[in-house]
Amino acid sequence: MDVQLKRGLLEVGVLAVIRNKPSYGYRIIKDMEPYIKISESTLYTILKRLEETNMLTVKTVEHNSRLRKYYHITKLGLEKIEEFKEYWADMKAMARFIIGEEAL
Amino acid sequence: MTKEKFLEELQVKLKGLPKEDIDDRVSFYSEMIDDRIEDGLSEEEAIREIGTSDEIASKVIESTSLTKIVKEKVRLKRKLEAWEIVLIILGFPLWFPLLIMALTFIFVFIVLLWSGVIVAWSLEGSIIATSINFLINSIYNLFSGVFISSLGMLGTSLLLVGAAIFLFYACVKITELTAKVTKKIVLSIKKALVGGES
Repeated sequence: MDVQLKRGLLEVGVLAVIRNKPSYGYRIIKDMEPYIKISESTLYTILKRLEETNMLTVKTVEHNSRLRKYYHITKLGLEKIEEFKEYWADMKAMARFIIGEEAL
Repeated sequence: MTKEKFLEELQVKLKGLPKEDIDDRVSFYSEMIDDRIEDGLSEEEAIREIGTSDEIASKVIESTSLTKIVKEKVRLKRKLEAWEIVLIILGFPLWFPLLIMALTFIFVFIVLLWSGVIVAWSLEGSIIATSINFLINSIYNLFSGVFISSLGMLGTSLLLVGAAIFLFYACVKITELTAKVTKKIVLSIKKALVGGES
């Protein structure tokens, strides 16, 4: 798959994981695992970019006498997911045109 | 390997990056290892799942821009003493040419590398041009009534088109390969700038 496209999809994927409740790094990887395997370094880059673009915020919480970072989705992040839904509808229409009715 | 040892190794391999970046990475991987242990893995297994410190450092450096690395490299870590400033100014005739030489060396190397690509595409272009030339001559001869010559030229033209098609794929391959090598060189320059011992 195109690298740029995959990166974009993974970003929305991570946002989807934290959509309903905040989560932490290892949990996010575990939650995505049934659908797509991502490495720690990939996740790090995605989280950084999402933080820089204000799609999520980070809160450090004490857990078992160590620190753990929780990622909270922002309004902008939720909007991004909605944007993706619209984008996906367009894609589906396009795929039906290219491949035929059996697509999706 | 223990978690401490692993994180220490990672720290050393990222030495040339800004301190906040290193701390952020290290705390991220530390949390990842702790969470795996909490999930029931042994320390050893948890670290194995994360990957070697070499692999991780390599990925981190790859995703950091060369400008950021160079900026960190030339940033002064402390105030210079007066005699050091004097030394830098006096040493200018020595270190400046050396710096220019090193940069020129890298530049020449990259140009040399890409000259193969330029040669390949020029060859492709000239073959296509020659083939068109033969085709035009062939048509010209046809109307001048020199049929044998016209046929010969048409044949040569088609032969060249065939060669051009084959060469096109070779050109694409050479370009891709060179791009890959260039990327590797840039990565190793970055690694050399960032590296502790690795």
